[in-house]
Amino acid sequence: MFSIKLGLRNLTRQKRRNLITALIIAFAFFAYLFMDSLMEGMEEMSFKNIINFDTGHIQIANPDYWEEREELSLNNLLYLSPEVQKSLQDIEEISGVSPELKFTATLNNGIDEMPVIGLGIDPEKYKNVFITQDYLVSGTMISLESHQAIMGASLARLMDLKINDHITLLVRTKEETFNAIDVEVVGLFRTPNPMIDGSTVFLPLDIVQQSLNVDEQISLISIRINQEKEKNAVVENLNRLFQEENLKLEAYTWEESAETVIALSVAKKGGASVILAVVLLIGIVGIINNIILSALERTEEIGMMKALGMKETEIVLAFMVEAVGIGMLGGILGCLLGVLGVGWMSKYGFNLGYLGGDMSTYGIPILDKIYGVWNFPAFVFLLFLGIVVALFSSIAPAWWAARKDPVKAIYHR
Amino acid sequence: MSLLELNKVKKSYQQGKIEIPALRGIDLMVEPGEFTTIFGPSGSGKTTLLNMIGCLDTPTEGEIKLDGDRVSDLSRTKLAMVRRYNIGFIFQAYNLIPVLTAYENVEFAIRLIHHLKEEEMKEKVLNILESVGLKGLETRRPNELSGGEKQRVAVARALVKEPKIVLADEPTANLDSKTGADVIKIMVKMNQKLGTTFIFSTHDPQIMKYANRLINLKDGMISGEERR
Repeated sequence: MFSIKLGLRNLTRQKRRNLITALIIAFAFFAYLFMDSLMEGMEEMSFKNIINFDTGHIQIANPDYWEEREELSLNNLLYLSPEVQKSLQDIEEISGVSPELKFTATLNNGIDEMPVIGLGIDPEKYKNVFITQDYLVSGTMISLESHQAIMGASLARLMDLKINDHITLLVRTKEETFNAIDVEVVGLFRTPNPMIDGSTVFLPLDIVQQSLNVDEQISLISIRINQEKEKNAVVENLNRLFQEENLKLEAYTWEESAETVIALSVAKKGGASVILAVVLLIGIVGIINNIILSALERTEEIGMMKALGMKETEIVLAFMVEAVGIGMLGGILGCLLGVLGVGWMSKYGFNLGYLGGDMSTYGIPILDKIYGVWNFPAFVFLLFLGIVVALFSSIAPAWWAARKDPVKAIYHR
Repeated sequence: MSLLELNKVKKSYQQGKIEIPALRGIDLMVEPGEFTTIFGPSGSGKTTLLNMIGCLDTPTEGEIKLDGDRVSDLSRTKLAMVRRYNIGFIFQAYNLIPVLTAYENVEFAIRLIHHLKEEEMKEKVLNILESVGLKGLETRRPNELSGGEKQRVAVARALVKEPKIVLADEPTANLDSKTGADVIKIMVKMNQKLGTTFIFSTHDPQIMKYANRLINLKDGMISGEERR
């Protein structure tokens, strides 16, 4: 069709202006792809950090405890009976089970004190679910039946502590009486999860149970499964089992444990929509501006085409092809820039030092660096969107141009 | 039946509250194959009259018939179709599409109306370009052609679709006298060869001598006519 040929040829006119418009679109697309990769990376890392250092894939707790789990109360604790433990071990998908007792404490180094979260663990079982022990930067892991503790290097620095120092954790027992746990710092870790690093002290479970006077009770059980995608099926399975056994227990996925981070992720997606809207607006304004300028410059030509009997729809089509060409060029350039940007981001990462520290300030459990992730559907979507936006934003100015009175157009009146 | 018939055609333009008459009642009949020149001073209404004949504009009053069909009150779309199939235009400023070659500028006009095979279309375009003396210049773009060559491309573009009438509004105004005369000679040749009706406006006496009918326009009215 001649209109298409003409539209394509017209792309070679005003090369500089077309290129600038395409580059503006490309830059907007690149910015979106870069931000999308960064945010997807942030989400992926946050989720990994939650699973690997905080919750595991699944947690089991007394539903009453779960309701008020943020309070770290010593009420509504659960007892991990040998039967339950065996039942859990019998489930094929489960690769690790870690009993935990969480409590609030005041960490005292003899000079200063600060509130922390205490976490009683069985180190042998803990390592089947979490990877904190792999991030020890000095010292060793704690052992049961010994008055030992490990903590984040950042917390230790804050409290001016080092390996072999002794600390006191001031706690309240189940009966609300005060108690103190004296332990030796045997290890310091530095994980990518600043929320664990900056506020949690790990202790042997038996020592904590004894000090808090809770017998053999625990707050919850963290579970790792072989395939993350199986988590919902495993949770269903577990809940059915608890019901059959008439146990007041319930299993929860890690997403239910990390509602705040999930909410942030949802908010992030809202932010991405705003960026996308700005990107689209840039594209629309660029294309409309380009078509209007082209139409003004080609007024006599439009008049000639109308004099020769070209239909208004054919003239509109020629302008639309031109606009789509610019949109496609911008989209392709934007995606190429996106490949470079996202490639760099996924290989070298974005240092959070540029933002003034870790992301825990914003409720996101990431320290040091965020790595971008490839989101290929975003590339395809944006390329497609570039064409659609160019197509639709060109209709109105192209129609305005094509509707010109032929006499006025020819004689530039 | 005349090819073109204008009955009491009037056209006036509104400028603010003032109505400016451009044509004050034109009666004109043009027979097939005529080579007609409309001449007159600036502001006499030559261009307005050509626009009415070319279906680019509609009269305020009166009637225009082309090949027996009334075209003076058709819709925009229908007027576009009348122009597409029946009328060829040659403009003072050539109005070629700069991104297309001479060949493509001519091809553009024929593609609008004919659904010929590629080979037939190519032959038609090359023949008309050869007829206007542009053989060998087919692949040149307008910026690579002289003024006279550009206007010959415009002539070829107007003729390639074999219209009933070719309208030329001061086609030689942007050309030197020799080149202008050459272009007019080509138009005369094509008029004789193809029998196409030509109506062109000019106020250049050197050009008028090639016409076989002269219409003098003054203040929006025909003040005289001469047939040769």
